[in-house]
Amino acid sequence: MLTMLEEVVLLAVDEKSGCLRSTREFATAYALVGAVFFDLALARKIDTCTEEVHIIDRGSTGNATLDRVLAHMASRPDLKTVRSWIEEIFQRRDDLEGAALESLIAQGILRHEKSKLLWVIDVERFPLADNEPQQDVRVRLSRAILSDAIPQTRDIMLVSIAEPCGLLGYVLSESALALRWPRIQMLCNLETISRKVTEAIFELDGTLRQAMTKMV
Amino acid sequence: MIHVTEETKSGWRVLSVRGRADADAADVLEAALRAAIDQHPKVAADFSALDYVSSAGLRAVIQGARAAEARQVEFAVCSLSPNVRKVFDMSGLHHILRIHGELPC
Repeated sequence: MLTMLEEVVLLAVDEKSGCLRSTREFATAYALVGAVFFDLALARKIDTCTEEVHIIDRGSTGNATLDRVLAHMASRPDLKTVRSWIEEIFQRRDDLEGAALESLIAQGILRHEKSKLLWVIDVERFPLADNEPQQDVRVRLSRAILSDAIPQTRDIMLVSIAEPCGLLGYVLSESALALRWPRIQMLCNLETISRKVTEAIFELDGTLRQAMTKMV
Repeated sequence: MIHVTEETKSGWRVLSVRGRADADAADVLEAALRAAIDQHPKVAADFSALDYVSSAGLRAVIQGARAAEARQVEFAVCSLSPNVRKVFDMSGLHHILRIHGELPC
């Protein structure tokens, strides 16, 4: 089974071009951080209340990336809130994306291609070697949003991570998303981690807008 | 640590949950809810003695509600303590659960 982190990165791969959609942008980077926390929660390594993260088991998850994040968390007992941990791990976002891509390539789901744009600029692409896992993620997301049934925990987490970084637009049409907006909001609100990820994105967005206004 | 006791009242299987619904207790809570839902048409979770609920505890309740929905079992959550009520309200669980001030039976 793929990790939440791998599923989010896989969802960000354009199935036609193999390019990563906006994963260098801060919103998706925050989503990757949220996905790692969800992976640790699903592995019963951390738990959250309305504000704080608690490490409940420092043992290995069996996944090197998750173990690294867990070890880092264990080394910083001064950081307690979900929000401060999101900010802390956000600084290591490139590692998360790279590790997920490596794992997806190793599992035969993605290929890695390098080429030159205008003979100068390096371009990396990650075409799908196996369409099925991405299709599975898309189907689960669609079902969780379009159905009125209560989704599985994992699918609630997936919706709540895909929404704040704009990845749902690659799964459903704008009109379908608009129609189901109350449902999407309801699912996103269920999890503390996704509420804090969304808050972090909105705050950073606000800060960037202020900075842009000052520059203009 | 969590303790779950069960009794039947006016056609409802009532699960009285006491203690803390955190990651350590989530599996116990979910298993108790699922077992009751598998065997009874109306199940109520009495949370009046539940002191604390974490995200893992909430997920257990949500998955209990999911099992009830799949089996067309009437499922209600009742008598939340103020601390637990705050967490339920923040998460908007009233959108997917029937939350009662008192037991429905």
